[in-house]
Amino acid sequence: MIELLATRWAYATFVFVMATGLYMMIASPNLVKKVIGLNLFQSAVFLFFIASAYVAGGSPAIVSSESTGPYVSPLPHVIVLTAIVVGVSLTAVALALIVRIYREYGTLDEGVLREVVDD
Amino acid sequence: MTDVVLPLLIAVPILAAVAPLLLSLRTSETGWYVAAVATAVEAGLAAVVLSAVYDGARLVHAVGGYPAPYGIELVGDGLSAPVVALIAVVSVGVVAFAYTGGPRRNSFYSAFLLLVGGLMGVSVTGDLFNMFVFLEITGLATYALVAADRSDRSAVAALKYLILGTMGASFFIIGVGYAFISTGTLNMVDLSSRLAGQYTARPVLASFAFIVVGLGLKAALFPLHTWQPDAYTYASDTVTTFISALVSTVAAYAIARVILTVFTVAFFEAAPLARWAVLTFATVSILAGGLLAVVQSEVKRMFAYSSVSQFGLVIAAFALATPDSVLGGVVHLVGHGLMKGGLFAAAAILAATHGARTVDDYARLGYRSPVVAGVVAVLGLALVGIPPSIGFLGKYYIAVGAVRAGAWPVALVVFLSTLLTLAYVARLLERLYFASPDAAPAPSLDAALADGGETEGESGADAAAPASSNAGDTRTVRSVSVGMIAVVGLAAVAVVALGFVSPGFETLLEPFLGGVFP
Amino acid sequence: MTEIESLRPIAAVLISVVGTLAILAAHRRPNFREAVTLVVSVGKFGIVASMIPGVLAGDVYVWSLGSFVADIPFALRVDSLGLLFAMLASLLWIITSLYSIGYMRGLDEHGQTRYFASFAMSLSAAIGIAFSPNLIVLYVFYEVLTVATYPLVAHDETAESRAAGRKYLAYTFGGGVAVLAGSVFVYWLTGTVTFSSGGIAELAASDPAFARAAFALLAAGFGVKAGLMPLHSWLPDAMVAPTPVSGLLHAVAVVKSGVFGISRVVLDVYGPETVAELGVGLPLAAVATVTLLAASVIALRKDHLKRRLAYSTVSQLSYIVLGLSILSPEAITGGLLHIPAHAFMKLTLFFCAGIIHVETHTDYISEMAGIGKRMPVTMAAFAVASAGMAGIPLIAGFVSKFYILVGTVSTGDYVFAVALLVSGVLNIAYFWPVVYQAFFQSSEAHDAKPLVENPLGGATRSNSPRSDGGRPIDDEEDTEAPATDDEDDIAVEDAEADAGEDPELDPEDLGRPDFSGQATERDYSDPAPLVDGEYAVDRNPSDAMIDEEPDTTEDGETSHTERDDPVDVDRGDDTHADHDHHGGPPAGGWDRRGWLGQESTWFMLGPILVAMTGSVALGLVPHAAVFLRLIDDIVSTALTLGVVF
Repeated sequence: MIELLATRWAYATFVFVMATGLYMMIASPNLVKKVIGLNLFQSAVFLFFIASAYVAGGSPAIVSSESTGPYVSPLPHVIVLTAIVVGVSLTAVALALIVRIYREYGTLDEGVLREVVDD
Repeated sequence: MTDVVLPLLIAVPILAAVAPLLLSLRTSETGWYVAAVATAVEAGLAAVVLSAVYDGARLVHAVGGYPAPYGIELVGDGLSAPVVALIAVVSVGVVAFAYTGGPRRNSFYSAFLLLVGGLMGVSVTGDLFNMFVFLEITGLATYALVAADRSDRSAVAALKYLILGTMGASFFIIGVGYAFISTGTLNMVDLSSRLAGQYTARPVLASFAFIVVGLGLKAALFPLHTWQPDAYTYASDTVTTFISALVSTVAAYAIARVILTVFTVAFFEAAPLARWAVLTFATVSILAGGLLAVVQSEVKRMFAYSSVSQFGLVIAAFALATPDSVLGGVVHLVGHGLMKGGLFAAAAILAATHGARTVDDYARLGYRSPVVAGVVAVLGLALVGIPPSIGFLGKYYIAVGAVRAGAWPVALVVFLSTLLTLAYVARLLERLYFASPDAAPAPSLDAALADGGETEGESGADAAAPASSNAGDTRTVRSVSVGMIAVVGLAAVAVVALGFVSPGFETLLEPFLGGVFP
Repeated sequence: MTEIESLRPIAAVLISVVGTLAILAAHRRPNFREAVTLVVSVGKFGIVASMIPGVLAGDVYVWSLGSFVADIPFALRVDSLGLLFAMLASLLWIITSLYSIGYMRGLDEHGQTRYFASFAMSLSAAIGIAFSPNLIVLYVFYEVLTVATYPLVAHDETAESRAAGRKYLAYTFGGGVAVLAGSVFVYWLTGTVTFSSGGIAELAASDPAFARAAFALLAAGFGVKAGLMPLHSWLPDAMVAPTPVSGLLHAVAVVKSGVFGISRVVLDVYGPETVAELGVGLPLAAVATVTLLAASVIALRKDHLKRRLAYSTVSQLSYIVLGLSILSPEAITGGLLHIPAHAFMKLTLFFCAGIIHVETHTDYISEMAGIGKRMPVTMAAFAVASAGMAGIPLIAGFVSKFYILVGTVSTGDYVFAVALLVSGVLNIAYFWPVVYQAFFQSSEAHDAKPLVENPLGGATRSNSPRSDGGRPIDDEEDTEAPATDDEDDIAVEDAEADAGEDPELDPEDLGRPDFSGQATERDYSDPAPLVDGEYAVDRNPSDAMIDEEPDTTEDGETSHTERDDPVDVDRGDDTHADHDHHGGPPAGGWDRRGWLGQESTWFMLGPILVAMTGSVALGLVPHAAVFLRLIDDIVSTALTLGVVF
């Protein structure tokens, strides 16, 4: 177990951060914190991709006269970039919705919101 | 050369989505015309794809000229062509519906066209990560559209959908990640050949699990459906019509694509637990969705739970993975899109004309809006699976597939689903036609209506405002026109007519099925 | 046997779909609308009848649209079994349409457009069922039939009829699902669902456990509509529908489609030999026998005439199923012949019940004593038809029953023969009293009904007030009789404040006159004592007096009390305290009407007489009346050997 954590600590972190994000989404009543939790969740996924792309002793994927050895595949990094963009736009939409909710209901607390909406 | 159609299918609506925003600098309310042109073009392109695939071709286009597996491929085959056609047809229908009924703001049509583009993208892409991107485009546009009527409840519903939908997409991308690290490729066909030796490896199993759960959340399978009733109920009526027909549909299509093309039937044979897990998931969804639908009093919510049940049926069909059940799954996927879209559109018309939102409000509307109520009856019975209709066709093939596969519990649930669906459909129909006269709300706009009269056109043109009882309801369409009724009437006719077209479906899917089931 | 490609099968189905649309379009012109129904029904019968010579000569008419689902074609095929059912349904639709016109207009019913339109659609589905060449097309039309008949069942739009409609849908759709499941099984086992004379060959060769399961599913699915116990309970509840609906659909078309389905399954899907090999004939025969007897026994206790007829239908349908499951040629012939025989007779009976309802608003047998005076032709027809039900020779029921009896005896199944004979006795037991009391008893003195609930030898009842002032129990009646009358009057007045009965009022709460029939010692030479200067009976005059008897002020008002639920009549679940009924004889007994049709309109009497004549014709000359010839044809093609077992 320990050497698992030692060698694959990046993946362990991924799991930990994902779980934290998930917990934040479920447990915190504040809507903005839920969105933060969502962001954490997504960041964990990015970490997963990047960690999986790590090549020990690798060089960047640019062919030049002095580069040798294993090249790091750029594909996971591209994936992460795309996913970051997606995450940003989602966060933007989520915050816009939260602004509207706050303007209409005056609260960001999920429990209060549930009671108010159910009228 | 026809494969150029595929990127056009995606590009046209996305480019067109910019136009209403630009135009709104000068004029307002021109967005509809842009959408009309764009969806008409889409319909033409979809027809080209459909006829090409019907003739047996498999369209493949490498985007940017980069060959697979380095580049992204777009594929049009027997599984994607029907979905593409469905998206095009429903888009045209909803735009026609929205001419009188829907919002006319330019921003609405921008989001609408983005959504169409995203849906088309999910349907034709041949790359797993590209599918994630388009799923998210679809999702974003849907969240915006759900909140489009600017009411408070729809904002909460949209936020809930956003959070859950993003989680679903994140699970999907985790699954893609596991698949990627096991094989090093993202192209679906390439993945299928590289996954071939390692079906029981843990990352591969984990990948399948994450992908299916993520897409299951988007397709609203029980117990991941909780966003759907609120989103469908509180979105404006035009939006609900569109998203109920298409958004979960493409998610279910994505599940089919992943199971059949990426992981293939061999995966199910190597890891039967995976198949049984998905089957259980889907079967429980059929029962739970049906049972929850029966107890609903609000009509839109009832139809939303009905979707949960119907998608359970579709996913069960794909999970059974036999030629008959896959055919049935595709038929039911397309059929459900038409039926559910038509039902929501008809409900929108009834809500606008009579202010009827709950089952009780529907008392005796069968005589006050005979055409629309007739459409509700036809579509509802088709949903139950009464022949001849596309609903029956799908159910029959799925049932044959289940029996042939020896999956008796699934077959039993498929048959029981008929009765469950009947329970809530019959309740609605009984209310429409046989409620006692004192239960019917007093006619508000149409006091001069005689028995059997059809005056939607007149009352719609004269009374632009919906019934006074729902003055604060922002979901209601602006007014009702004969054209809108014609659209729902066409939906009903199509649902029955497609019930006779099973040879067409078989021809369409034959090459695809031949490839999946050697 | 040549196959003739023809449009006639689809024309026969579609003509009434066109009719449905025309009826819906003509909703503002009732006479035109009714004319559409009549024209379409005659046309349909014409098309169906035109195919008789060809089918009798051995040809088969086919029409096909191409592949419908999987490789199963959507087609229609007219063979002798299909033609049998189609002829029956289309012929009886003509006379039912005439009857419906009289009935609906006589009652001034609402929703007549919906009624006639649904009727036309149901007949279209029934013909479709008759002409189906495979299980899936049969299923298609079976479901369409359910959908089309639902508006007819729930026609009244009261809570009771909605509940009956819901029950009907639940049962029949459940049956439909079972049929679909069975068809899927058959398709899976054999690769085809097409009806083939003598059965689908591959079914005999397939796994017996699955073949039996499929048979059970199909039999249960069709058995719901065929009224096999315990799936029958929708049928008595569906009697809330208007009587023509009960008659044609529930005694002829809907339930006969159920037995038609069973006959297709036994003859053309499995074939008699396979049924015998699998051993599923015997359980089906056992279920049919139990239904036969149990339904007859239940019918004995029913006071509501239509419900009694409903249970009689359940019982008679099982004759057909019994005949089919015995599997000998005579039994199958008898079973199939009972389809038209029972149809004609039961239709006559239902029409009689309906005409009585329209003319006198009477639904309960206990109130029909002496009604032969008022409705002689009707009750005569009733007598003929019920004789046929019991199996009296010269009427249709005898011929079919005879064949079935011969069949059971020839295969050695004496149990079934005994059951049939017992059932015949029971039939007499529940029909004869109705006829007897109509002609030979009167509303003043008749046997308490139902007979089985009362002492042996009968207990005399009266529906009319006693003209001599009543019969109190003991000597103190002079003072007590007015007092009890007062309570009665007041209670009666409260109950009838709105010229109708208060639905919540329990008849048991009203004062009970004594019908024990004991002799009194009251001296009738003196007038009744005055209370406060007036007769007690005049103090609270009833406002619900019947117009025909204006001079019955003294005893007219008490007639309601005695009419509602007199003591000792156990209605079982027929409580009519909640019905808005005012049936029963008017005070003073029934009017006398002549035998030349003065009792009602010819719209209703005509069909009754035609149906009755049909049952007699089938009893006298079954071959000439085509049906038996068709049946002989069916049986000879179905059984390649002689007696099966």
